[in-house]
Amino acid sequence: MHSESKVDPKIMEEILKFGKNVMDAPKLVSAPDEISLEVTPHDTVQKIDKTRLLHYRPLTEKQHRTPLLISYALINRYHILDIQPEKSWVRNLLLQGFDIYMLDWGSPTSMDKYLDFDDYVNGYLDSAVEHIKNESSTEKISLQGYCTGATIATAYTTLHPESVKNYIATAPVIDGWRDTTVISNLAKHMDVDKMVDTIGNMPPEFMYYCFSVLKPFEQGIEKYIKFFKNIDNKKFVDNFLRVEKWLGDTPPIPGELFKQWIKDIYQDNLLIQNKMYVGGDLIDLKKIDMPTFTQIAVGDHLVSPECSMPLHYAIGSEDKTLRMYPTGHVGMIASSLSQKKVLPELGKWLSERS
Amino acid sequence: MQPNSPKNTADYYKHLSLFWTDIMHLMSSKPQALTSTGPMRAFTANSKKVTTELIEINEDLIGFNQYLTEYYKQLADAWGVAQKKVNLKSPEVPQDAEQIEVFKKIWIDMFDNDFTELFDSKKFGENYGKLVSKELELTKHWNNITNVVLQSVNLPSKEEIDEVYKELHSLKKRIGKLELKLKKKETRKNA
Repeated sequence: MHSESKVDPKIMEEILKFGKNVMDAPKLVSAPDEISLEVTPHDTVQKIDKTRLLHYRPLTEKQHRTPLLISYALINRYHILDIQPEKSWVRNLLLQGFDIYMLDWGSPTSMDKYLDFDDYVNGYLDSAVEHIKNESSTEKISLQGYCTGATIATAYTTLHPESVKNYIATAPVIDGWRDTTVISNLAKHMDVDKMVDTIGNMPPEFMYYCFSVLKPFEQGIEKYIKFFKNIDNKKFVDNFLRVEKWLGDTPPIPGELFKQWIKDIYQDNLLIQNKMYVGGDLIDLKKIDMPTFTQIAVGDHLVSPECSMPLHYAIGSEDKTLRMYPTGHVGMIASSLSQKKVLPELGKWLSERS
Repeated sequence: MQPNSPKNTADYYKHLSLFWTDIMHLMSSKPQALTSTGPMRAFTANSKKVTTELIEINEDLIGFNQYLTEYYKQLADAWGVAQKKVNLKSPEVPQDAEQIEVFKKIWIDMFDNDFTELFDSKKFGENYGKLVSKELELTKHWNNITNVVLQSVNLPSKEEIDEVYKELHSLKKRIGKLELKLKKKETRKNA
């Protein structure tokens, strides 16, 4: 009796090639630490505590009159909006003739644990807007908020409508009870008081855990198999490492800000009910009466469309536009779809109002 | 006080250790006064606190393990269900590279779906919340023990440092708001 082994030679070939790719990887690609995520040239025009206001250098001769300030999210860093030239949100808008500023929230340390919503909205963001108004001699600016940065920008826009000419909310976190993502489930069951009282700031590791439960097998296994399989593809590898480096660089979130965030947005859902207070002032979404553009990704598994969409219906503006795109949270801002569809639509809308 | 249940046993040993720590402290406090400026005096005076924290750590560790076990049980159950679904959808052992690719896709889709369903469920959220809460209790005890050590060498405790941070934050906030007010005034003047 004998058995005949029938292993497809192609399988063996693939296994051997995969092994070779893993061995060759360090020779072929840079270590993430060696990659710089600074792409489009910019100047730091203001520094307050750990925050920096970045001003991108123009790429066109003529520019629209109204500058645009981007309020990036509190999770990870602003680099994803300028991850590489072909997928850069910032570069695309510069090429469309916009004057772009970015607010980098920096990396808070233990001594920043008492920073709260008021500091971010009426302190850092307001100071940045004031600086831009001064520098560009305009009375109003355009403001874009992304993800959690859009929640801060939304609060700012209701409290300082006189400074905002146009408002763009990109995947904003607004209605916590409608959010159907895993993150919102974890947030709803969190004893945030105990967390902040015990460890101060929200540690980055906690965020890494949240990321790890989002499509754990595709993101935890398949993604890396693909990386090693494509180790010869320079463009793919470069993009992969840049995004990976960006994903692995999330700063802590100041304790008090995190506490208010989890309680007011996810647990008590005060923002959409016009019951949230920032620095003693009520956030009334009806006060957003300027032109507003809301961008939503249908496949967003970090901020579900149901969580973002209510903003469009809650604001007081009569000139409001809602756009939905067949992509994910990051795909909406750093992909070929964002370059071909999302940004041209935004640019057209904004140029008519700038 | 006699131990007749696990809870009573813990209480009994807590009482026993506190009793002897207190008695020893009272008996030895006079000779210790001689070394009142050294670290050991302060440490001995606070050693009761360390004992209490260590006993309570054990109690919280039991709770933590309970939620951790439930956490892994939920993951294992989800794994089992997902694997059964994969077996039903793809009963044959893949024979060539193409079939392996199809199998891998089915496997990842099924597992991602089932695990996302688990992570999105109330039972997972509740258990995870309790697990993190117990972990924080353990951290709190560890902080308290560290505070005893810090105080024994006349260094500020976490609470004292927090107080400084709070005061600093309040001052910076007031200054920041005043500066911004001035800046806005300036802008209006220039306009």
